[in-house]
Amino acid sequence: MTKSNEAKKARRAGRVKTSEATFLGELADQQSSKYRLAQGFGVLFAVSLVLQAWALANVFSDMALHQSFSLSLLVIGLFALLLRALSNFGRERICASASRDIRYGLRSELVSHLTKLGPARLRIEEDAALSTRVYEQIDALDDFFSRYKPQVFMVTLLPCVILLSVVSISWITFFVFMMTAPLVIVFMIFVGHKAAQANRRQFSVLAMLSNQFMDLSQGLAELKRLNKTQEARDRLSDSASAYQKTTMSVLILAFLSTATLELFASLSIAMIALYLGLGLLEVLPWQVGESPVTLTQAMFLLLLAPEFYLPLRQLGNDYHAKQKAEAAATDLLEILNTTLSDTTIQTAESVMSELIESEVVEKEAFIGFHQLSWTESGHHRLAPITAQIAQGERVWLSGESGIGKSSLLHLLLGFEEDYQGQLFINGQAFQNIDLSDWRSKLAWLPQTPEWVNGSIRRNLLLGLEGSQTPTDEALQQALEKSQCDDFIQVLPEGLDTKLTELGSGLSGGQMQRLSIARALLSKTDVWLLDEPCSGLDNDTAEAVLDTLESVSRGKTLLIVSHDTHPITWADKHWTLTKGGLNEPFINQ
Amino acid sequence: MSHSLINKRSMNKSPFNKSAKLTLKGLLLANPWGFVIPVLIGVLASLAGVALLGLSGWFISAAGLATAMGVGLVFNYLTPGAIVRGLAILRTSGRYGEQVTAHNHLLGLLRILRLWVWDQRVAKDSANLHEQSRGDLLQRLVSDLDQIIRWPLVVFLPWIYALLSYVAVAIFAYFILPALLWPLAIAGVFHVFIVPYICGRFASHAVHVGQILGVHRRSRFVSLFSALITLTIRGHWKDYAERLEQLDERQRKSEILIQQAVSLGRLLAYGVTIALLACSFYLIGSFSGEAGQWLLIDGVKGTWMIGYVLSLLAINELVLPLVQSFVAQGQSQVGLRRLNQLHQEPLIQEPPIREQQAEIHAKNDSEQVIKMAFTHWRGFHASSEMGNTALDLLIESGDRVWIRGESGSGKSTLLAAIAGDCLSSGDAFINDEKQDLYGNQAYQNKISYLPQSPYIFQQSIGANLRLGNSNATDSELWSALDAVVLADWVQNLPNGLDTLLSSQGRNLSGGQRKRLALARLLLRSSGILLLDEPFDGLDKATIEHICSSLQNEYKPDILVLVSHVESQLGIGARIIEL
Repeated sequence: MTKSNEAKKARRAGRVKTSEATFLGELADQQSSKYRLAQGFGVLFAVSLVLQAWALANVFSDMALHQSFSLSLLVIGLFALLLRALSNFGRERICASASRDIRYGLRSELVSHLTKLGPARLRIEEDAALSTRVYEQIDALDDFFSRYKPQVFMVTLLPCVILLSVVSISWITFFVFMMTAPLVIVFMIFVGHKAAQANRRQFSVLAMLSNQFMDLSQGLAELKRLNKTQEARDRLSDSASAYQKTTMSVLILAFLSTATLELFASLSIAMIALYLGLGLLEVLPWQVGESPVTLTQAMFLLLLAPEFYLPLRQLGNDYHAKQKAEAAATDLLEILNTTLSDTTIQTAESVMSELIESEVVEKEAFIGFHQLSWTESGHHRLAPITAQIAQGERVWLSGESGIGKSSLLHLLLGFEEDYQGQLFINGQAFQNIDLSDWRSKLAWLPQTPEWVNGSIRRNLLLGLEGSQTPTDEALQQALEKSQCDDFIQVLPEGLDTKLTELGSGLSGGQMQRLSIARALLSKTDVWLLDEPCSGLDNDTAEAVLDTLESVSRGKTLLIVSHDTHPITWADKHWTLTKGGLNEPFINQ
Repeated sequence: MSHSLINKRSMNKSPFNKSAKLTLKGLLLANPWGFVIPVLIGVLASLAGVALLGLSGWFISAAGLATAMGVGLVFNYLTPGAIVRGLAILRTSGRYGEQVTAHNHLLGLLRILRLWVWDQRVAKDSANLHEQSRGDLLQRLVSDLDQIIRWPLVVFLPWIYALLSYVAVAIFAYFILPALLWPLAIAGVFHVFIVPYICGRFASHAVHVGQILGVHRRSRFVSLFSALITLTIRGHWKDYAERLEQLDERQRKSEILIQQAVSLGRLLAYGVTIALLACSFYLIGSFSGEAGQWLLIDGVKGTWMIGYVLSLLAINELVLPLVQSFVAQGQSQVGLRRLNQLHQEPLIQEPPIREQQAEIHAKNDSEQVIKMAFTHWRGFHASSEMGNTALDLLIESGDRVWIRGESGSGKSTLLAAIAGDCLSSGDAFINDEKQDLYGNQAYQNKISYLPQSPYIFQQSIGANLRLGNSNATDSELWSALDAVVLADWVQNLPNGLDTLLSSQGRNLSGGQRKRLALARLLLRSSGILLLDEPFDGLDKATIEHICSSLQNEYKPDILVLVSHVESQLGIGARIIEL
């Protein structure tokens, strides 16, 4: 087995360990004690395998030669079979539970990571696609952890044990095993590699096919309008047929290589069987007249021969589990590697301690920025800005897209940590304030209002549970102020109308008004608005802005808006540019 | 790419006609001849596998016996040896043939099922269609399909193999000792029927619960995360996240249950095998006190018995995967149930394809729409019943109508209802003939409707445009692109008309998407143009250019415009204020 071990090592060394493989390895290490226990069961399995072969070989040879059998040996044989079943049972359960622990642990880690990322998570993908990763992709790791990982151990263990038990009985069998095992492994690598390539190609073609199906299905309404559904159907049918043809030509080759491998294993077994048969008949050319093995030994060898190659073949079958897991790992790593890097926090903190003494001016302000900036891969994403907002001041922030306006809001929301310079709230450094306390003062009105599945009422009261729950009166008042009451009254189900992902016929302006009502209900003093009017036509936008003006008096307001939707009533207008912050004019 | 395919009209015969529900049986019969070949080859390979072990056991022991009896030199070892080798080759090549043919069959099924789903969705009316067009729903549909087509390969074939192997071994057992048939039959019933059935039943509930939980968990995830910031700043994220974790915990429990069913089922299968072996030995042996051993009863050959025991061990390997596959069956069934939810009784107004095509031909000859009259006309959304206030409207050939109104006044809904794309109340008279517009394909063939957010397909620009008119020449495409001021942009793309657009036209700006869809409509050259906010996000010059195109070379007989932007089209248009 040393040779096959070497071959395996060579295989490992030959391939550079990818980050996916490292990631999967680290995850497996979390459950190393369970895997060790599973290995224990594996050893038990191997021992019972040999025991069973030995006992049954004795029973068989007695039956053949003497027409009798020893009950005790039969009982041992059956007991070994039972032991084998039990150890398999144990191994399965432990590996499945290890896989579960890994996956569910990873899942809650991912969810909390996404929570921490906050708005930054959308840099990776939209929520629906993220949910696919968090659920489906993590479950795609199951086969790897519950089957492939333990099988790798069995692949080294079982042939070793069988070789050990064979060596004292028949040198020739031992050598046949020794010679063929490395060959099988080399062949496996070759086949595995080819199959992997074929598989990858398959996978991408299949993905393309699904994509086409998805694309046409999503545009079905459009196709119906254009009266082109039949053409699309033909297209689907043709590409599926073409796919079938190309796939089959690939599969014929891929299966052929596995079949050759199988044939190779069967031929080795047949070789051993032939040797044993001829040996028993005492007609081996080099040993005429004497038998190298007894019938018991021959039966023993024959029973073990298939078991020698079986784990290898199983590993080959489970190989796709590894590929599936690695593909999933790529997606999962992307989430985990998206971080709000905390290295800069430390530098920020060290800067802070210097600042605390020197800078006193900005401490007066309600919100103060001092040389605040972001760098992203060496470039300034936000040029250093120094500015302040007094309590009750309403500030309009404009600038090109991608200049860092949203990041500034996200920072105030406590979701952006990757910044240089200082942010003060009420004279306290942002790092030192109680984040949840600060957050409870905020209202957030993004471009697309944040809705959960549920009624309008539920959405208005979202997060206002328990003591915070406003009275019906307050609710009505907020709706009136935000001018929602008109269109809600018209709704047949009123406040209990369901809002779904698709909306429910409410226009963009109406949704923004609901958002304003929600902000009013939260009774917060600091409102952060991220382009609340983009996507609205000018008239609607103006009307919404008018409402905003009237309800936000007295509140501290930071509103991001393009020049196309000017906030004429703002106390200050900041323009963010690549060079920093400009304050073109101050209203009033 | 598509235009080359469009002309090839392959008739796809499918046993799943449009009105049929999906069943597992239907899956098997979908392509019976394609399925018979893998079954036959697979059965041969499985039998060869069982016989291989049995026969080689017999061969070795018979050889040993022959030597012990001193007849070793005359023992014919060539024939059994050749049979053993033949079986080995048969088993290997059979497995190969089975895999190849079964996969071929499977891919054929994939095609048939996809087309079935497609037909079901085409048969849906538009209002329901929107519900199902969400990305994740479709994604699930695709994965359901992948799950279901594996059913014959993963569940049915292994079951058949196990069953037939049992039958073959039973014949062998009959020749050894007929009494052996009893335990064999009982074990067979347990192995092939009872154990998989019980485990399948036991797990199917958990599988079902797990799947429902999965869907639930996913939508809760999306729902919660879409309100992440609001929930976080209100300090309630933890409570909500905990609910997500509770769902996960329940999912984990159902997963444990499924896994237990599989593991226990396998243990049970092993137990049955052990009991079967013990019973067989008990039946063929009789205890002899003097030898202190069990002797085989008369007429039972030890060498045959060895072959029998070895074939039982081979069968054991065949039945072990059955338990798991029957749990997988639960998954297929859940998938089927979900797919069948797509199914609905065929709509009456849905004309079969051939009629539809006849109508297309008839369209050219059929009368143009010259007059559209609507009384008490009101379009509304199915879910909220929101829409415009009912109105009377008369549009005649040569009319230009501009629908204006505040946001939320139902302009778009009204237009969609006129286009037959949205539910409506009131009466519509087309050329003085009362018609039901909603989902009326013949009517929709005569109009061109640009919705608020048109769909751009993940195909080349040319293919997208040719959806408007599959016979359009390149110069027609360019002139349509020019009319919507996209010609320069397309010309500057390295691949021009062959540029592949990304999914849902994501690499286009909103304005470009809309203009591309408008160009597609212009190619249809139908007399009636219904445009919903065609100028959103466009600059003045572009709007002017489009307006002049619509007033000159692409002038429709009837133009209905919903827009909040002032444009030349508005000048002289009949204005309807909502």
